[in-house]
Amino acid sequence: MRPSFRQAEYPVLLAPAGSPAAAVAALEAGADAIYVGLKGWSRGGAKGELTAGELREVVAASHAEGRQVRVAINTIPRGVERRRLVQSVADLIGWAVDGVIVNDPGILAELRARYPTLPIAASIGCSAMNEADVAFYRDLGAESVVLPGTLSPEELRAAAETPGVLIEAMIHMVEEFIVLGKCWMPSFFRLNPIPLADLGVEGNRLIGSMKRGGAGVCFKVCERPWDLYLSGRRVVQRLLPSRQLSRINELSDILDAGVGVIKLQGRSLSPRLLGPLVRRYRMAIDAWRDGRACLAFDEASLDPSWTVSRR
Amino acid sequence: MTSHLELNTTISNLRDLHASDLSPYDAIYLGNITCRLYEANLLERVDDLREAIATVKGQGLKAYVSTYAAPRNDFLPKLRKALAAAVEAGADAVEVHNLGVLKIIDEAYPRLPVHIGGFANVYTDAGAEVLKRFGAVRITPNYELSLDEINQIQRQVALPMELLVHGKMPLGISDYCFLLEYEEAWGVKCPDLCQQDLFLKQGDWAMKSIGKGILSGKDVCMLEHLPRLIADGHTCFRIEAVSESPAYRLEVGQVYREAIGHACASVGGSDGRWREALNAHARVGLCNGFYFGRSGMEYLGVESEATTSGMSRPGADSAHTLHIRQKEQFDD
Repeated sequence: MRPSFRQAEYPVLLAPAGSPAAAVAALEAGADAIYVGLKGWSRGGAKGELTAGELREVVAASHAEGRQVRVAINTIPRGVERRRLVQSVADLIGWAVDGVIVNDPGILAELRARYPTLPIAASIGCSAMNEADVAFYRDLGAESVVLPGTLSPEELRAAAETPGVLIEAMIHMVEEFIVLGKCWMPSFFRLNPIPLADLGVEGNRLIGSMKRGGAGVCFKVCERPWDLYLSGRRVVQRLLPSRQLSRINELSDILDAGVGVIKLQGRSLSPRLLGPLVRRYRMAIDAWRDGRACLAFDEASLDPSWTVSRR
Repeated sequence: MTSHLELNTTISNLRDLHASDLSPYDAIYLGNITCRLYEANLLERVDDLREAIATVKGQGLKAYVSTYAAPRNDFLPKLRKALAAAVEAGADAVEVHNLGVLKIIDEAYPRLPVHIGGFANVYTDAGAEVLKRFGAVRITPNYELSLDEINQIQRQVALPMELLVHGKMPLGISDYCFLLEYEEAWGVKCPDLCQQDLFLKQGDWAMKSIGKGILSGKDVCMLEHLPRLIADGHTCFRIEAVSESPAYRLEVGQVYREAIGHACASVGGSDGRWREALNAHARVGLCNGFYFGRSGMEYLGVESEATTSGMSRPGADSAHTLHIRQKEQFDD
């Protein structure tokens, strides 16, 4: 397998890009690589996806600057869609994309068997949370596994010590109440099938399911106020807990733990917001690489409404 | 003849096990998959787990051991001990929701039968094939799949699919318990907090909170559809009762045991007592989950109006959504 990142280049700063303009902003701000969605196959839905033409232009521009592009195809295609998806990956390889990010063990195994040299990352939607998960996805053929920024440096170190696999840590992300990849609250309440005709295959996208259909879309039911009832009595109206997580000030510990890729969430970010975010992480990574103390950064965050975790 | 069909349910601790009449069931899943701090969770107490397995097997039932839905590294040492105890005590299978745990079992106990749980996110035959290579002998597909999709996976992978036929469907798993915020205000401490009667409501939407887990507010009910499920070749049926009382476990189990018998004997219709029993335990109402390709909270009935006292017949001009009596015992 051809590694998508040379070890000497670690740590790699992998930034999101939901549009060609965002890709430019991320590259100008110092991203080593960007990840994008391809129209129809991305968990983020239509917002934040690139058309095939846009993707080819972004790849060319990135390669011209020695940077890399990964494509998130992180919905789980149903039977009717899978053949089309596999064809799409052949197209991506033809366009010199540097790797793909997938969300399902079956798809991962199928792509590995079909494209032995394609760098494949197990998406954060695979919900890997422990070192055994990392080994499982490595055995399936993942070059890298994306872990959530909720893990401690000790947990990341244990994962990074797993031989033969690269650890990506998404340390700038929204931590939602439900573990990423383990939620079907939205579709329980609303599920809208719409035809897949625009992809040229039969069947429906299942709008409402985060993981399914051509474009996973979340209705964000967790972001609405819920009345909490205790023994039939309404006691409070509240949001399910979530918070913006940004561990830039712990970057040294995370990199010392052996994490190879620092990944930022935010394909919906505008170029105006994305540029400064990437630049801050660039500065922090460079400081660590040069043996200088990481600068402290003030991070705006949502009010964390949960209390101490008691696991 | 129903001997090839399995009706199973879930129990978290010894107290619940000893309080439950298991006579309607063929097999029991032991352990709480949501939280290590759940009261006397069998997965955290290997002596209790051994006793629970012996108790279940002593009643002539199969004993399965569930494992955590979203374990982090610090779960694994205890989980390895629970797995060792399960093997020593003769557990008939282990249920796995986390693929790292699947790898651990495949390496340490390659002959131990593994059931894949609903949180493992089996959405496709390709995914099921991968897990079969790691020792899976039974799969609970992700709850979002329709019966047509489940049947297709079953045909292609040639493994039995386990179906949640009744109870509150898991909708999500968390790494955090927000109920801890209320310990002081309510005067209820962990681990009793998540065993309270707790619902989250938003208009006519409802979910049950069990701390680190979210369940559907409505109970999935496939009673009317059992003949179809059996005709489709399904043999493993689950009544999800992890957050329920022993009375729920017994009375709902009795209904399904009788209904399975009727279905296998090709006895049509349903017994009015069945619906009464199910309605009595449905805190919010009933739904079908995702089995018919619709949003999970909808209910699609098949019986004629003449045989559905207490249920409204789906109208020919409607989306065939029928709402079984909404109890709405909530005080706004």
